[in-house]
Amino acid sequence: MPTAKSSLFNGIWAIFIKDGLCEFRTRYAVSALFMFALISLASISMSIGIVSLPVELTAALLWVILFFCAMAGLSRVFVQEQESGTIVALQIYGSGQAVLFGKLLFNVIVLLSLTLLVIPLFIIFLNVDIYRWPIFIVILIMGDIGIAAASTITAAMVAKSQGKNALFTVLTFPILLPQFLGSISATTKILANIEPNASEIVFMAGYNVVLMIASSILFDYLWYD
Amino acid sequence: MKLALGLWIMGVVYAVFYMVPPVEGLGDLVRIAFFHIPVAWVSVLAFLLSAGWSLQYLRTRDIRYDLKSSAAASLGLLFCLLATISGAVFAKLTWGAYWNWDPRQTTIFILLLIYGAYLVLRTSILDKEERAKISAVYALLSFLTVPFLVFIIPRFYFSLHPEPVINSAGKLEMDAIVLYVLLAAVGACTALFWQCFSYIVQNKQESA
Repeated sequence: MPTAKSSLFNGIWAIFIKDGLCEFRTRYAVSALFMFALISLASISMSIGIVSLPVELTAALLWVILFFCAMAGLSRVFVQEQESGTIVALQIYGSGQAVLFGKLLFNVIVLLSLTLLVIPLFIIFLNVDIYRWPIFIVILIMGDIGIAAASTITAAMVAKSQGKNALFTVLTFPILLPQFLGSISATTKILANIEPNASEIVFMAGYNVVLMIASSILFDYLWYD
Repeated sequence: MKLALGLWIMGVVYAVFYMVPPVEGLGDLVRIAFFHIPVAWVSVLAFLLSAGWSLQYLRTRDIRYDLKSSAAASLGLLFCLLATISGAVFAKLTWGAYWNWDPRQTTIFILLLIYGAYLVLRTSILDKEERAKISAVYALLSFLTVPFLVFIIPRFYFSLHPEPVINSAGKLEMDAIVLYVLLAAVGACTALFWQCFSYIVQNKQESA
């Protein structure tokens, strides 16, 4: 069925473009997230001065900052639709899978651009040296995809609840945790100039795939009444 | 039924304190294990049951499955807390610290977080059908982490937890009396869980 397949891709792309356009008009999510990251990095750097932190702490700090930035902004993809009342229209016109993967793609792109902005700041403020760029970039991309995959479906869950933002973090963290521990331990090795095991990268990629498959199966139950 | 269960639990308690010999290296501390292992087992069992009934709910949209799922999760949280506390006390007495992020401690902590998140999610949605649907999806999604937590994380990190010793090589060296008492304790704990569970479900069904 080539038509069904291409219509799914078209749907995903349409959702992604729509969200991108809305974001481009307001520039809310990216700028808020960037300021959030800047403030948290600067406050840590200010308080420790020129002392350099142990690598374990630095690696954990990077992922904690990325995680909480994601928690500050990624729920917007569904919460905003709910608040402005456009979610009903989307439910009528968009198929569940197209909506899920379109929003997921948007979240991945937002998080990757955030990472692109955070990493230079991270290097400047915390005075870290990174020796293995290619594998570090792979780890960052895997970790970002994981955060986005876990938070897109939880965003759809919190959209209909009260106290959305606090709940969003509470729901996402346990699901993300196995991946999160993997990202931190791999980043620690990078900062200590040790080559991470291939199995760690495979684990992260595998977890991402599992998260996406599970979201794809479960999302239809959330989306259609 | 309740009387039999009460007698059974009393029998197990008696056996733990008067029939089980102190173990070499651990002494009387080993008696904590007869509390810790059954509660830990029930807290995992409750999680599996909760996920299973969530799946049933999504397939049938019968609200009774949602009641069961939430009852199993609330009891599971209680048993999980007991398992965490008894484990931490045991860790303090044998390893010297209440908490040191041993892989098993990480696993049970994540289980606690999942139970907590699931129950908080339930309180924050007012509409009954929505609540049932969304929390069922969350129970199944969080169920995903179980294989990673149980099989993969303990492989990455060194563990002090004695379970592997008891389960594989140590089984032959365990006294028959210890094994029987442990099995009886696990049975008693599961029966107690089931009794409380049926009570909660019945109450909820009457009030609904």
